[in-house]
Amino acid sequence: MNSSRLKDLVQPMSLSHVLAVARLDLTLLLRNRSVLFSVVGMPLLFGGMLFGFRGQETGGLDMALFAGTGYLAFFLVFAVFMNLVSVFTARREDLTLKRLRSGSLSDSEVFGGSLVVSGAIYLIQALLLVVVLGTALGGPWPANPLLMLAGMLAGVVVFALLAFAISGLTPNADMAQLTVVPVMFASMAGSGVMFPLEFLPGAAREAAGMLPLSPLVDIVRTGYFGQDHTVGGTQSDIGFVEAWIRCLKPFAVFALWTVVGLWSARRWFRWEPRHA
Amino acid sequence: MQTILVNELRQRYGDFEAVGGISFEVGEGELFALLGTNGAGKTTTLETLEGFRNAGSGTVRVLGHDPYRERRALRPQLGIMLQEAGFFADLTVAETVDQWRRFTPSPRERDEVLGMVGLPQQTEVRTRQLSGGQKRRLDLALALLGRPRVLFLDEPTTGMDPEARHATWKIVRELVADGTTVLLTTHYLEEAEQLADRLAIMHRGRIEVAGTVADVVAGQGDRITFRVPDRVPVSDLPTLCGAVADIAVESGRAVAGYRVQGLQASLYELLRWAEHHRLELDGLQARSASLEDVFLHTAAATPEGAVR
Repeated sequence: MNSSRLKDLVQPMSLSHVLAVARLDLTLLLRNRSVLFSVVGMPLLFGGMLFGFRGQETGGLDMALFAGTGYLAFFLVFAVFMNLVSVFTARREDLTLKRLRSGSLSDSEVFGGSLVVSGAIYLIQALLLVVVLGTALGGPWPANPLLMLAGMLAGVVVFALLAFAISGLTPNADMAQLTVVPVMFASMAGSGVMFPLEFLPGAAREAAGMLPLSPLVDIVRTGYFGQDHTVGGTQSDIGFVEAWIRCLKPFAVFALWTVVGLWSARRWFRWEPRHA
Repeated sequence: MQTILVNELRQRYGDFEAVGGISFEVGEGELFALLGTNGAGKTTTLETLEGFRNAGSGTVRVLGHDPYRERRALRPQLGIMLQEAGFFADLTVAETVDQWRRFTPSPRERDEVLGMVGLPQQTEVRTRQLSGGQKRRLDLALALLGRPRVLFLDEPTTGMDPEARHATWKIVRELVADGTTVLLTTHYLEEAEQLADRLAIMHRGRIEVAGTVADVVAGQGDRITFRVPDRVPVSDLPTLCGAVADIAVESGRAVAGYRVQGLQASLYELLRWAEHHRLELDGLQARSASLEDVFLHTAAATPEGAVR
């Protein structure tokens, strides 16, 4: 009887229900200072740091632009992953998740509403950062915004699934600060957000490329500069179609993580507290 | 078609059998109460009917639907008041109801539903500041939002003061009068006596007794007790309409008890016997059997760990 687990993520959804859940999420978010800080404060802090990198060079690029494009990917970890882990853990433990399931909402509408809000926050953060990069930090405007957006949306799905799985392994909202650390640390250090992976030996570089955030860093940087910034890429200028082709491998890595995320969310996600 | 149908339902948690093969039916517009000790399996049964968990084995149907597999079709017709569910602490009562109206097809107006449950003054109060009884009323309000055909109430009046409890009973009676089918669990036997058309007493995952309150109580017999007068040997106590006295010792004194069918004839015999022997019967009590007698009898019949 694994009723308290995730039954099916893909069910028919009503748009008005999803938007109603999203509206609830947004209301609660605006009233919760600590969540608000992680959604607004952290990106501001990281964005501010970029100004200290100006003029330095890394991986053949201005370091502010290199790190800035890394943050375009990394903000996903705050806005979607950490946010959803803490929201779903807290709601499971205070039984509001059970209440949300006691009416006409389907399970996928409960997930979907929260996903829409956290995904929208991430995209807004990324858009603002693109503006900062393009104006205050003297960078170019994105060469291939469509590619960037596709990568970001795929990333939202992958990290939401990982968040649902990790929330099932998190005993309470306080512990959520700890259980997100492995994914956050791996994403920060191993996915080429701030330091190019080109310095790593071949096998380690391939392994780093398989981390869940790595595809997004590659796709966003490639799309932003219009140069091949995938693992082992030449950084030469490429056109619209070639950029997509070079990013097939990162998208394949995302597909793999989607499968892993679905499997682990089905296995670990819980609607109700363990002790109930 | 029965509105609620449960046939040979079993539910296990690991090695523990929470529900051990129960069957009952509830007709349209009927109020059926599930009574039982803690851990008897009431909530597990209810949550299976509400579609939170799949039936381990056996069949459950609500309005003809499998509540787990056809949750989407069924849920808009159900009102569910869980035994325990959280509120978003930062929302006010009004915001909570408004939010739930957006999740509910053709919902009642906010003022209407808060008026029904007696919370019209609390609209601007945050849910974290509500008392236990007020939270229960808000729970009920959310369950009633969608004008449900079938209402599940899991211990609806726990934490309410007597006045609020009576007010809640009034609401439930009116809903039943309007044709709503209600399945209720409760710890309060009076609640079941007041509301239930039929009831079942569950114990350790099984239904031990079921029927109308009158049916269930009838098998139990009425009860007459008095202190055995000092100079009367126990062996000299009379039989009353064929019933023999059972003797218990309370505060160092023997108390005679009779379980009889019909109080009047038995009492008449007892009083005639006392008159004849010029006895004063201290502590004489005569009362009809109550649901409480049946309940305690059921709970005592199969003690913890007993082999059945």
